Amino acid sequence: MKVTLELINQMQSQGVIGRYAIGGAVGATFYLEPAATFDVDIFVILPTTQSGPLLSLSPIYEFLTARGGRVEGEHITIGSWPVQFLPASDDLEKEALEQAVPTEVDGVRTWVMTAEHLVAIALRTGRPKDHARVLQFLETAAVDRKQLESILIRHGLLPQWERFQEKYLEK
Amino acid sequence: MDKQEWRKRMASLSFSQKIRILEKLRERSLAITASGLRKNRPKGR
Repeated sequence: MKVTLELINQMQSQGVIGRYAIGGAVGATFYLEPAATFDVDIFVILPTTQSGPLLSLSPIYEFLTARGGRVEGEHITIGSWPVQFLPASDDLEKEALEQAVPTEVDGVRTWVMTAEHLVAIALRTGRPKDHARVLQFLETAAVDRKQLESILIRHGLLPQWERFQEKYLEK
Repeated sequence: MDKQEWRKRMASLSFSQKIRILEKLRERSLAITASGLRKNRPKGR
């Protein structure tokens, strides 16, 4: 992971990407016990200098393949980790990047989404494994419930939260 | 040590230590897939 993050940081310092943060299962591992995952999700802000209405991941792929990255489907493998780059596409993801927590992996600086944003995004994604992760966050009290609810209200996710509570939390 | 205590202990490790565990879990999972004991590569996210 060290090599992976070093290259991503290099890409950031050269302006290929803006702010970024680790999300998904690897992001959740920052707060929870480690759980097996195949890849790492990197949410990114792409520079606004790109022309046209569609944001492209091409600059990222060009930068990384020139430095040994291998494209495999929706991933690009850097070092030993397949990475999926996910451009922040709405206000929730942009806020998650703005409020991401700085940390280090083997001395390399990086950012991880807050527990509350990881839960909000997992609730919205809504697959069984996302719900399992939300339950883990709640069971281990790894989220601030007030903070979470304010995010859910702000981003219109209360219906998903209510359905989740009905299904998993109410007896 | 009971399961809850074990989970707490694992959760309290540093991010670097947890990433090393993730890497080992991933290697093991890929090895199982390569051996043919599992048909599909584990999915991410």
